[in-house]
Amino acid sequence: MNRDANPLLDVAGATKRYAVTVLDHCNLQVRAGEIHALLGANGAGKSTLCKIIAGLLAPNAGHMTLAGQPYAPANKQAAEAAGVQIVQQELNLIPTLSVAENLLLNRLPARAGVIRRKELHVRARRALDRFGLSDVHTEALVGSLGVGRQQMLEVAAALDRPCKLLILDEPTAALSAAETKTLFQLLEQLRRQGAGVIYISHRLSEVAALAGRITVLRDGKYVCTQKASELSTEQMVDLMSGESSQQAARKIGNNIAAAASSEQVALRVEGLSRGIVQDVSFTLYRGECVGVAGLVGAGRTELLRAIYGADIAEAGRVYLGKAPRPHRFRHPGQAVAAGVAMVTEDRKQNGLLLSQSIKINTTLSAMWKRFSIGGLIRHRAEEQAVRSMCESLEIRSTSIFQTVGALSGGNQQKVAVGKWLVRDADVFLFDEPTRGIDVAARRRIYRLLESLARAGKAMLVVSSDLEELLEICDRIIVLSAGRVAGIFERDDWSAEKIMQAAFSGYVADTPVQATSRKPAQKTARKTTRRRP
Amino acid sequence: MKYASLLFAFVLLGCSGPGEPQTSTVGDASADGAPRIALVMKSLANEFFSTMADGAKKHQAEHADDYRLIVNGIKDERDLSRQVALVEEMVASGVDAIVIAPADSKALAPALRRAMQAGVVVVNIDNRLDVGVLQREKISIPFVGPDNKAGAKKVGDYLASKLTKGDAVAMLEGLRTSFNGAQRREGFEQAMRQAGIEIVANQSAEWEMSKANTIAAAMLSEHPQIKAILAANDSMALGAMAAVKSSGRGGEVQIVGFDNISAIKSAIGEGKVLATADQHGALLAVYGIEAALAMLENPEETPADIETPVELITAGTPTQ
Amino acid sequence: MLVQYAGLLIVLAVLVGVFSYGSENFFQKNTFVSIANQIPDLTLVAVGMTLVLIVGGIDLSVGSVLALSSAVLGVLMVQYGWPLWAAIPLCLLAAAACGLFNGMVSIGFGIPSFIVTLGMLEIARGATKVVTDSQLIYIGSAVEPIGEPLPGVLLSPAFLLAVAAVIVGQFLLTCTVFGRYCVAIGTNAEAVRMSGIRSAPYSISVFVISGVLCGLAGLAHASRLSSADPNAAIGIELSAIAACVIGGTSLMGGRGSVISSFIGVLIIAVLQTGLAQLGVSDAQKQIITGSVIVIAVIVDALRSRWVNEH
Repeated sequence: MNRDANPLLDVAGATKRYAVTVLDHCNLQVRAGEIHALLGANGAGKSTLCKIIAGLLAPNAGHMTLAGQPYAPANKQAAEAAGVQIVQQELNLIPTLSVAENLLLNRLPARAGVIRRKELHVRARRALDRFGLSDVHTEALVGSLGVGRQQMLEVAAALDRPCKLLILDEPTAALSAAETKTLFQLLEQLRRQGAGVIYISHRLSEVAALAGRITVLRDGKYVCTQKASELSTEQMVDLMSGESSQQAARKIGNNIAAAASSEQVALRVEGLSRGIVQDVSFTLYRGECVGVAGLVGAGRTELLRAIYGADIAEAGRVYLGKAPRPHRFRHPGQAVAAGVAMVTEDRKQNGLLLSQSIKINTTLSAMWKRFSIGGLIRHRAEEQAVRSMCESLEIRSTSIFQTVGALSGGNQQKVAVGKWLVRDADVFLFDEPTRGIDVAARRRIYRLLESLARAGKAMLVVSSDLEELLEICDRIIVLSAGRVAGIFERDDWSAEKIMQAAFSGYVADTPVQATSRKPAQKTARKTTRRRP
Repeated sequence: MKYASLLFAFVLLGCSGPGEPQTSTVGDASADGAPRIALVMKSLANEFFSTMADGAKKHQAEHADDYRLIVNGIKDERDLSRQVALVEEMVASGVDAIVIAPADSKALAPALRRAMQAGVVVVNIDNRLDVGVLQREKISIPFVGPDNKAGAKKVGDYLASKLTKGDAVAMLEGLRTSFNGAQRREGFEQAMRQAGIEIVANQSAEWEMSKANTIAAAMLSEHPQIKAILAANDSMALGAMAAVKSSGRGGEVQIVGFDNISAIKSAIGEGKVLATADQHGALLAVYGIEAALAMLENPEETPADIETPVELITAGTPTQ
Repeated sequence: MLVQYAGLLIVLAVLVGVFSYGSENFFQKNTFVSIANQIPDLTLVAVGMTLVLIVGGIDLSVGSVLALSSAVLGVLMVQYGWPLWAAIPLCLLAAAACGLFNGMVSIGFGIPSFIVTLGMLEIARGATKVVTDSQLIYIGSAVEPIGEPLPGVLLSPAFLLAVAAVIVGQFLLTCTVFGRYCVAIGTNAEAVRMSGIRSAPYSISVFVISGVLCGLAGLAHASRLSSADPNAAIGIELSAIAACVIGGTSLMGGRGSVISSFIGVLIIAVLQTGLAQLGVSDAQKQIITGSVIVIAVIVDALRSRWVNEH
């Protein structure tokens, strides 16, 4: 790497060790007026490096300079004072406080300890307008905003403070296309003002469009720094994974589609309504992977929750397998007993027990069924099952007793999925299964879906990443404003059509005509498999 | 080991904590071989008992060669099980005698029986153990203390002399489980009955000032004709006094108490409280200790109860 | 395994050391026997409290429920002349009913258990006063066998019962699906629900268990005093919570160990006895007890940090 004479931020030899070394003598140089992308697979050390820069972690070795001065922030406050702002992957807003209060939390305008409400809201308003959030009310509670809006709010809060260097860890995962666009404009503006930006994203196309230079980390080690314009996305993946993309399967979706051959019904939903979800009907076949697309707030998560019994449906019926009697699940326990599993979107909130071990998380749903006799735990069988799950899903951890909260996002997601593999189910509901995880882990998850399809399981996958759905799914159900705006087959779908359908509920009176379902045709769609 | 020394230092620090370095195991060095006496009190937060304990410590200091003293109390008058535990702990630590002001007249009896079986001399002060229970436990423990009933009668008689026949009064009892409380109630009742005064309200305020305040206030609004309030101890009398004052009837409603704590003295001087009874608490424990020492000297003798004096205190009583 | 308890055992050993140094009468069989026979009630209550804290609840009503069950026992034996063996089931039933109420109301209506059990604290205490007419009921020797040391062993059946409760409690927690789910519920109830597990039966059971253990504690308490005291065990909830917290149980739920809570009880009991034997004044007792509680928690926090880093 050609070292700059005078970078904004210079990190040299940063090292962080826990039980294992997660960051091993990493270097990073960010110039003023540069958007610098940080790439790497899960556990490559990107987040750790950023946390060190932002004062959230103390490194075991290495030193940093900021604008030529030695820089070793003792904590986040010190880093912020030095002009280094971070927006983390997990939201750090307080849902019960208002937008304005969150925005100005550590510098609330006050006189003698009493908050000056008027000034608070005026200042918040000004900041929100500046960051393209003019539709957000300053008095609204943060908890009432969507995840995407909250994410933007975090960015706004960071930018509202004096900012020499902004660190964004996976900021667009929860953003809509419009929000992403606003964000990029903001970043570009910031760059022109001479600030530095460290940008972490798994969306390589974004990186290619946005970043000036790219630094790649792998397994906690520095790999290289290069101009973004000199790299194709394939090359980026190769650098991150350390292998050539020639070997990697690209169109996993076809394999799943190929497996979706059976006429057997796995799940039939009729006229399901709950909250925003109105009168949704569709059928899911064994071995099939069906995507659910739609804009934020279209009711995708709500649909899964209503099927699963996490929310009680107001109307409609759910049929499972060949059973002639419909179900109306009033509790997820009934759904699980009937063979439905759900992998939730928000791992922190309701997916995992973050402070508990991999073992406890993995076997949670299966304790009665597989790992106990008369209520007593079969410890050995349990540990065996967890170990083999960890092995087959390539979960990177120190042991099966490690707390899940200490794992990287991708490994956490593997545990969340692995839990249901251990429990076993016929129908899997996935809500954003690849959100916030890197390319390699993503591929691992796809392979997993593939094997589930081969085993005759039915899958319903919600994703905000349309490319992903187009790649892996047999069919895509598009929701718009809570209603089915179309069900598309592989034969006749395109991103444009799907986007049109997704918007239809908000502009047109009638949804785009749904195409009829013809699963039998899927048998013909076989592609050669490139990887065992 | 770092933690250990830290902790050790802290404990030592705590022992010589705030206030005067008060070592309650008085006279360790001077009296080897002398009998060890444990004084087990009720709540030492209650002035009556802390005065009693101080009196005992002073006495020990004056007779340092004759015996050693360990003083313990409980947090709260109602914490019976802690007092039982204290008795057991004192027995375990090998004291020769226990002088106890029992928090309950029945529940302490079995623990004291076990103490006696272990060869410890037991003397009962302040609150008399229930005779029936002592019989059932097949033990006899000498009681050293005042006749609460007679004391309450004296206070009641004095109050009656200020009232006229047919007047209405209210009574604030102590903890209903306490023997003293029952004795004082009986003394009050007897005095009122003889004078033809009617007790129109009667509740327990569990010896506490704030509870007495609430209850007295309720009584005053429920029975506006009340001419006087008889409280079974001074803390409750003070609570009643505040209630009378806040009902705007200061001076119209007479109040009497019991115990003669220091806070009541000025109230009596100002005429806000009519009378109280002094059972000379400071000397009570000393009497008990002397009785225990006598029993240790003559183990053969059957100990007898000792009645200590109770004095009526009014505005006219000269202050010492 | 032992490392898990090392911090607490060090604190306990230091306390015993300090008291043995400070009072020649402390390090004796008699002292330890008297400690052992004093702690059954607190131990039983603390076992229940540990489980309740682990599922993310809290039970403030333990003292009142303890008093109520001992009152039921006393009234049945004294006023109705029932024998001990017949009165025990009813006394436990009363306590279990209180626990069931706590569990049903807090889980069923989604009310924080802090509030519900605070209500039960008053209700059960009031009920105790109704049952006993606010009078202490002297039961006499009929209940004493439970609290009296067994000849030879020197330990009372009540103590053995408490130790058994500790062992069973720890077993329940670590070796049964029930215990596993309690930990999970306390960690993240919503995640447990989304895993297809109904948490209500587990949470409610935990409150019932706490109730029953309070009943047993009431039995131990009554036998130690040979009486049913309507004012029994006021404030024991704080001692029990202190014991649990000393033992590293999280007040937020999801983490805790019954054995550690038991060591917490031992620390409190040793402290109490030792200070009484030294004849330390009441004010200093409180300062020292408070300090030791905080120090014990600090030592345990340092220990777990040490374990995490190595």
